[in-house]
Amino acid sequence: MALRFEVLGRFNRARAAQLTLPHFACQTPLFMPVGTQGTIKGLTTDQLEEIGCQIILGNTYHLALRPTSELIDELGGLHKFMNWPRALLTDSGGFQMVSLLHLADITEKGVTFQSPVDGKPMLLTPEESIQIQNRIGADIIMALDDVVRTTITGPRIEEAMYRTLRWVDRCIAAHKRPHEQNLFGIVQGGLDPVLRDICVRGLVDRNLPGYAIGGLAGGEDKDSFWRVVAQCTAALPEDKPRYVMGVGYPLDIVVCSALGADMYDCVYPTRTARFGTALVPEGVLKLKHNAMVNDTRPIDPTCACMVCKNYTRAYIHCLVTKDAMGSQLLSYHNLYYMLQLSRNLHSSIVEGRFVCDFLQKMFPKGDVPEWVCNAMDVAGIDISSCCSS
Amino acid sequence: MKFAVKALSSGKARAGVVHLGSCPSPIETPCLLLSTRKGLPIFISPDLLSSLPSPDSNLLQFSPLHFSEGPSPKTISSIGGLHQMVGLHEYGFAAVARDSIQCLPECGSTNKTGASFETPCGRRLIKPVEYMEMITSMKPNLWATLADEVPAWANNKRNKTSVDRTVKWLDECIARSP
Repeated sequence: MALRFEVLGRFNRARAAQLTLPHFACQTPLFMPVGTQGTIKGLTTDQLEEIGCQIILGNTYHLALRPTSELIDELGGLHKFMNWPRALLTDSGGFQMVSLLHLADITEKGVTFQSPVDGKPMLLTPEESIQIQNRIGADIIMALDDVVRTTITGPRIEEAMYRTLRWVDRCIAAHKRPHEQNLFGIVQGGLDPVLRDICVRGLVDRNLPGYAIGGLAGGEDKDSFWRVVAQCTAALPEDKPRYVMGVGYPLDIVVCSALGADMYDCVYPTRTARFGTALVPEGVLKLKHNAMVNDTRPIDPTCACMVCKNYTRAYIHCLVTKDAMGSQLLSYHNLYYMLQLSRNLHSSIVEGRFVCDFLQKMFPKGDVPEWVCNAMDVAGIDISSCCSS
Repeated sequence: MKFAVKALSSGKARAGVVHLGSCPSPIETPCLLLSTRKGLPIFISPDLLSSLPSPDSNLLQFSPLHFSEGPSPKTISSIGGLHQMVGLHEYGFAAVARDSIQCLPECGSTNKTGASFETPCGRRLIKPVEYMEMITSMKPNLWATLADEVPAWANNKRNKTSVDRTVKWLDECIARSP
């Protein structure tokens, strides 16, 4: 184990904690920007430090293809390669394999696929995934899991869940750097509470440094989504970090934090920035709209970021979708927004007002979605002051 | 603005110093103006720009035509000018109608009323009065007047016409000088 997790404050199930990793001491709940190819598109590592980024996620699949994990290892690891002094997390490569490669085939051995470089058949095994991640050198590495979308039903989900447990043992055995890198297991099981329960128990038995809740954020309905998160957070150990993979929208992060999750990652803030959309307390602001042409207000008057302090909506409007600077400035703002949301969650969890403030700004008419109300019920947080019904 | 020649070589070269109101330090010449797109260097946001050597990197060149699709001169004025709009208060801006990449003079379409340019938004004819409206709203430290630019291979007649027009527009621009 190469981490320390200390809960500093609570509100019912929500926790504010310190997660101390080899490269950085982080505060949770936290959001991790996705730096697919060893970089966050549109931002330098200096800027990421400036806005308070604590952990960046790197994609094993993309890095193994270019520039290869061997080269990264030779050059001293991904931290040095991308000049990022704080924490890094790599995923196993499994998700991209399944989502990007149409001809991927999953067997007990691993994931066979066609190399996108030369079309040759290739095999990603649990052992290979861990070896690649050992070379990349991130503070947290993920076990290779058998990921199945929650929109699928049938015996495949059960097969994937049991296989995930068998593969985690192979990952543990293959892991050569347990004192420098923390291997997280990933809970699978689709939307079936029985399967999820078996998977949680199996992973907890392995006594891993941390646990992720996988297989979500893939198109399932919100009501199913929060119930899986609620079940898993209730069953996972109190004293270890919980990471909901692929989440997501600010509202989803607030709900999951209320239910007891600590870590999140998503491409949404940066990707939506490249399409001209800014994240604001009221929801989103589409800078491409003609309404923005002469609007001399900042994107968000309550935001303290470099973009909101210096630029008007009118100026950003003239840049978006036409000039790279538009994507850069919006990505900067959107990430600042997500990181500020994380900081607010951490500091206000003890006060217990964090959910209401957020919901009141996003739903000023009180039309909070039913799934959010249901989730807050289970989380034991009273949001009646924000709901009209 | 103040400019002084500090030293001369045995030939024609000179070393000088430029003082601009918005720049905190004087800038030595010869100096390189950073080219910009809509007021900002192409991939360098202001917080990164400050990591370049200063004051040598404090002079930027821009083309008012980059804003032909907005924001309007009225909006730019209400924001307070170009420096304010792009968040570069301690930098100097030099305005030239053309840049060397995307706003290129189209001398075949220029006529007695205005200069024509090929821009990413299509071909635009700019009259001196429109140009000066942009200059007045943007408030650059330095600006070139609107000229009828022709390539070196233009024939004598076209060349003469370009000089006559340029001088005429020079007077019109000066008359509307902010």
